[in-house]
Amino acid sequence: MSATASAVPFGHTGNADAGAAVALDGVSYRYPGSTAGVQDVALTIAPGELVVCIGPSGCGKTTLLRLIAGFLKPDAGTIRLEGNDVGTLPVRSRECGIVFQSYALFPHMRVWENVAYPLRVRGVAVADRQHRALAMLDQVGLRGFAERLPAQLSGGQQQRVALGRALIFEPHALLLDEPLSALDAATRTTMRDEVRRIQRAHAIASLLITHDQDEALSLADRVIVMRDGRVVQDAPPLAIYDTPADEFVANFVGRANLIDGTASGPDSVDTPVGRLATRTHGRGTGSTVRLLVRPERIELVRSVDGENVFAAHAARDRFFGASRRVEATVGTARLEIETNARDTIEFVRIPRDAIQFLHHP
Amino acid sequence: MLSRWITAFYLVYLAVPIALLVIGSFGHLWLNTVLPTGFTLQWYRDVAGDPSFRRAFVASLAVAMMVCAACVALGLPLAYAIFRARSPAVRSLARVLYQMPVALPPLVLAFGFILVFSSDTLPWLGSIWLLAAGHVVLGLPYFLQTVVADMQRLGLDALEDAADSLGSSGWQRFVYVVVPSLRQSILAGLIIVAALSLGEFQFSNLVAGFLNRTYPVVLLQAFYGATGFACAATVVLLLLALAAAIAGGFVSGSAERMKAAAA
Repeated sequence: MSATASAVPFGHTGNADAGAAVALDGVSYRYPGSTAGVQDVALTIAPGELVVCIGPSGCGKTTLLRLIAGFLKPDAGTIRLEGNDVGTLPVRSRECGIVFQSYALFPHMRVWENVAYPLRVRGVAVADRQHRALAMLDQVGLRGFAERLPAQLSGGQQQRVALGRALIFEPHALLLDEPLSALDAATRTTMRDEVRRIQRAHAIASLLITHDQDEALSLADRVIVMRDGRVVQDAPPLAIYDTPADEFVANFVGRANLIDGTASGPDSVDTPVGRLATRTHGRGTGSTVRLLVRPERIELVRSVDGENVFAAHAARDRFFGASRRVEATVGTARLEIETNARDTIEFVRIPRDAIQFLHHP
Repeated sequence: MLSRWITAFYLVYLAVPIALLVIGSFGHLWLNTVLPTGFTLQWYRDVAGDPSFRRAFVASLAVAMMVCAACVALGLPLAYAIFRARSPAVRSLARVLYQMPVALPPLVLAFGFILVFSSDTLPWLGSIWLLAAGHVVLGLPYFLQTVVADMQRLGLDALEDAADSLGSSGWQRFVYVVVPSLRQSILAGLIIVAALSLGEFQFSNLVAGFLNRTYPVVLLQAFYGATGFACAATVVLLLLALAAAIAGGFVSGSAERMKAAAA
């Protein structure tokens, strides 16, 4: 974690625990008879904050959610909700609103009955809970759907019901387990904005699990990247993208050119691309470094004049409408370039501030 | 085209014996002719007035109801346990075990029951309870099959997780979520079980006591008497089975409509 923290220029500072809605400290869990699980996870979510947890499948992100919700009991560490240790509380007493990947709407209940269910089990009178359910349906944009059965709704609408049901009992936290993954691409974008709007309106501490980087970057106040059961980086979306903690994060969030090289002076690095002018941040001459350059930061230029300009030869050129992705041979290296220019590729420029130093493993 | 002919042939093959039974039950006289002569309701009156048939009819209904009750009481927790079993090995073993009675001829089961329950320690042979218990063994596999499949289709575990997270107690979860969301498959399973119990002959014939013989057992004796009487007595059983089948079709039909609405 210390390496991570140093790589984060404006991440949270760790004293948020005091007023945090959700706080995990040193939480470990191992599934019986396997090596999968989570290892020594620390995480805080401030009231009203939306934290997105992202990682490849099997990285432990769903385990994390199930630990907070109480479906799993941690082997070590503490889990606090609104300051109270909930480690021994059963699921139903934790007061976490959960939106499941499959929505898990009750198929035999009408829409308003689904939304009112948490009030029903809390003994709220039927007239009152119907009134509150209808108000909630208004908020999630489902006015007029109250009497339908879940099977008569589209995926996006079912998602809205699930959100309303998870929020109506004013839970301590909202946990969303890959809520958008079952939707088609167009609905997913709309629902992304809706989830954000509703989450904001309720100002509720939220944890959203996803494997979709667009979702993570566009939704989150803060992103947590997980790998093999550990938190690799915990930072706001911009920092995750601009200063990834390591090669894994660089590759997992966004596309990345990773260039190995050797420092050849205080202001230059020798790489397969050629000699790159860049500050070496005090690394001694001869030390090996790994550099990150995002494909969209590489510029196409017409002449060889200027700093860090190299001759390039397109090996593969794919057109995506709004952008164009080129794999080009530069020096002896293969670089990925994303551009919206339509010109033939002759020279590329790698601006100084586009070059990042990664921690060499 | 060929499939249409085969379907037509099959329907005729299926319908002719039943049609003959129905015609025979209303026929006055049926001796060495293709179809009976004369029309009468006398055979039905005779069946209705026959004390052993009346008793058998009531016994059959009573047994079927007992079997249904036992299937819910035993089958629901069992189905749940099978569905929740974590290890796939346990699940497939459970499947093999609970499907065994399907392969087991009722005759074998009956011999087993006779051996066990004619002893002095367990002298229950001939009781209506024992008869129902045997039918439970025969019917439970179908009930479990139907309900477990529905639990898997619904994703019952996710529904239960949702119910838990929304604050339900275990009892509330069971009453508000588990049972109602399974109600169609429970009903469909019970209809199969009831139909099976009503029509069961092999086991009942050997195990039923004289005073609580079921309808099919008594029916066999009708064939030693007048043809019309035998036909009428059979049609009564047929109607019972038909009622169960129509009820079953109705239930699965409404399930289909729900699924169609989802698509």
